[in-house]
Parts: sequence; C-alpha cells; structure tokens
Amino acid sequence: MSALVAHFRGLPSVQVTLSIALLVLGFLIAAQVTGEKPRTQYSTQERAPLIQTALDLQAQQEALKARILDLRKKIGDLEAQDPTAADSLRQLYADLEDARLAAGLIAISGPGLAFRLEDGTPGAGVDALVSAQDVRVLVQELWLAGAEGIAVNGERISATSAVIDIGGSILVNSAYLAPPYQISAVGPPDLYDRLRSSIAFVDFVHGRIDRAGISLSVAEDASVDLPAFAGTVNLRYAAPAPSGTP
Amino acid sequence: MNNRHVGSTHGAHEGGHARRFPRADTLTSRLTVAAVAGILGVLAVGQLHAQTGAPALEGLSATDLTQLIANLTTGNDQLRAEVTDLSDQQGHLQDAHDRGETTVDQLTADLARIRAWAGLTPVTGQGIAIVVRGRIGGDGVEDLLNELRNAGAEAISVDGIRIVTGVVVAGSPGALSVENDAIGDSFEIHAIGSPQILTGTLTRTGGVIAQIGATYPDAELTVTPADQLTLPATDRSLLPSHGRPQL
Repeated sequence: MSALVAHFRGLPSVQVTLSIALLVLGFLIAAQVTGEKPRTQYSTQERAPLIQTALDLQAQQEALKARILDLRKKIGDLEAQDPTAADSLRQLYADLEDARLAAGLIAISGPGLAFRLEDGTPGAGVDALVSAQDVRVLVQELWLAGAEGIAVNGERISATSAVIDIGGSILVNSAYLAPPYQISAVGPPDLYDRLRSSIAFVDFVHGRIDRAGISLSVAEDASVDLPAFAGTVNLRYAAPAPSGTP
Repeated sequence: MNNRHVGSTHGAHEGGHARRFPRADTLTSRLTVAAVAGILGVLAVGQLHAQTGAPALEGLSATDLTQLIANLTTGNDQLRAEVTDLSDQQGHLQDAHDRGETTVDQLTADLARIRAWAGLTPVTGQGIAIVVRGRIGGDGVEDLLNELRNAGAEAISVDGIRIVTGVVVAGSPGALSVENDAIGDSFEIHAIGSPQILTGTLTRTGGVIAQIGATYPDAELTVTPADQLTLPATDRSLLPSHGRPQL
C-alpha cells in the first residue's frame, strides 16, 4: 500500500490532473452521446421561437398548478380551523373532504405498483416508440385490475384526463411528458397478481411490448405516492342535475 | 499540495533533483489540461441543459410544437380560471373566518361542483349524443372516450353508465362490457361539453371516427348535437380503500 502511495506521489501532478480530466471527459462524452439524442431531429429555424414559447407556457403551467394545490390546501386548512362549527357544518366539511378524496384532489399513498415504459430500439416495420395508446392500455388494465388511483409521470389521472400523442411524446392533463414514462398505481396488495391474470394485459405485453422491443419494468411497493390532480374542476357546460334525477 | 507543486517546479528550474520537467513539456501539459478542462466545461454545460431543459422538445416538428402550444395555452387558461375561483373561495372563507361567520351556501355549492365533476351526482347540460351501431372493440370505444376528454367533455356516459375514474369499456367486438354490464351492438354515448368542439373534433378528416371506421369497418357512428342531456351518477364508490391521504 505504501509503495502504491509512493508511486502516485512520484507522478507529476500535471499527469494525475490530466488523467482524471480525461476520465471525466470520457464519461461526459458517453453521457452526451447517449443522453441528448432526441427521438427525431429537426433543424428548421422557425422552431426556436416555438420551443421558447412552449417552454414559457410549460413554466406558467407548473406555477399555476403549484398555486392551485397551495390554494386548495389553504382552503382545507381554513375549513379545519373552524372550532365553532355546528355539527351540521362539520358534516359538510367532512363531505367536502370525502368528495375531494374521491375526485383525486388529494394526494394519496398506499400499496401499489410503479411501471416504467421505455422506448425500444427501432426495428424493421415495428414502432418501438412508446405511444399514448400504450400508456392508455396500461392505465386501463390497471383500472380493470382494481387500481384506486393512477398517475403518469406525476400527473394524476382524473375523470377528465386525456392521454394523447404529440410528436414522439405525450400530453396528459395538458402537461407535456417525455419518456421514459412512469405509471404509478395504488390499489389492493394483490394488484399485480390481478393484472397478470388479465388476458388483455398478457396480450398487450406479448403482442405489443415484447414484439416492439419496448422496455416494461415493474416494481411492487408497500407505499406508492400519488400526487393530487392539479387541474381545473370547473364545470362550464355541465351543472348538477336537480335532485330526483336518477 | 500547493507547497509541493511550487517546490517541484522550482527544483526543476534549478536543474535539480528527481522531478525534472523541461519548461516546454510543462507548458504543453498545462495547455493540454486547459484544453481538456475547456471541453469538459462545454460538455458539462451541455449535459446540464439536456437534463434541466426540455430536450424532448427538440424532437418535435414545427407542427407538433404549434399543437403543443395550443394545448398549453388552452390548459393554462383553464388553470387561471381555477386559480381565480379558488382565490375567491379562500378570500370568502378567510373573511367569514375572521368575522366568526360561516359560509354554508358557498361550501354547499363547492361540494355540489366537486361531486358533479367527479361523477358522484347526476349532471345536465348541452353536448353530443353518439349512436354506435355494429361491432366495435373496447379499444375503439376507449379511443373515442379519450378523444372526447381531449375535446373538453366534462361528463360522459356509455349505455347509461357514467364514466368515472376506474370505469373502462372493455371486451372484443360483440362482447363489450362496462362495469360488468354487457353492452349490445347498438348503444349510445353521451358527452356534456361544447357541441361544436366535440362534434368537430370527432368528425374531422382523419379524426378518431375515421380511425375507428378503418379498424372496425362494420361499426357505424352517428354524432348528433344535443341541447340538453342528463347523465346519471356513478354507482361505484370512488373513495380509496387501500390508499390513504398524505399528511
């Protein structure tokens, strides 16, 4: 050991520095080559302002969603801080809390699964890119297996959530999500067993995932976290029907 | 460290002892280190940008970007409206709280709104009715529902069953079911929302109805705007049994 130390001490510091720098350089070049490659490359000049506009809008969206979650929390806190509330009012607060929980407006944790979907290597005649359709099928199969809540890359799936393709990526709740996609679900402890017993899920894995070379991995977890839905619950066209309606 | 470095170079200059570095070599080495460090810096910044920015946007065409911007703009407008509503709601609650009063009416309206949005109560409003005839698979119906949501549908029902989180129309053609109820080869889908937007989105050239027609040529879908539809509440409990609210 002491001989090794002596050997390194004998090396000029410039050589040591250079060796370390070249090592880091190698890592960075490898990371750059593998990590920065978009699924498709375009080079037109007019895209630059469009990309900047999209980035600005995405930043606004993040800020608005954070504001919504913050306001909902403050409202919940104000309701909970009403020590003088009569029993009827306390019941109203409890009903509101239940409605928010049912609607996905409250973050939850529980046993569940976390799937990860990644693009495969493009092959002849097979679309190896993960599509919105792939994500939708997995979400639907999770619902059918008994999932109580699902999120895709941190976007909680609600009654009004759409999952659509945009270029080679997807939009969920109007949020732009890039692969890899993490689909998290909370449900019964045997959620994965239920899922595996679904013929449609097995067909999806063999007929689409395996065939296209898409990577699908799953982890079972005793505590999966799902964020609250941070979108709008405003109704513009629909109104609660008068009581007595079925 | 510094001392040793200074000592060794000083010794070399004096024609001294074990470590002898001709000046030219030292200069070359330093220049090499400087060049490598420069490249390192550029690559590190590039990597940082790739991880913190939106590298996936680089893969979008101008058309895709335009579509993304339209979606983000619409979505942000809705989020702003939600922020305004919630701010008002918080203000009223805070005022009432400060005055020691209660706002039962506002709380009741908020409860009704959330329950209606989630599908826990029946809703009414304008929208579209889609009559489906012929054999179609569950995937085709789900594609249709996804497109309705994307077009802003606020409430949807299939064959009289409210579509909420967890409800999926599944099965092969001729064996469709929703919530364990079989659906025949002829059924209706009702969606509340803007009739113009919903109709336009579904029936546009190359839209979802055209795609379904290509996959399920026996299926016939007819879209009709409706002034007033009433959709039922869901029968299922949406309260999680295994998930717990995060504190």
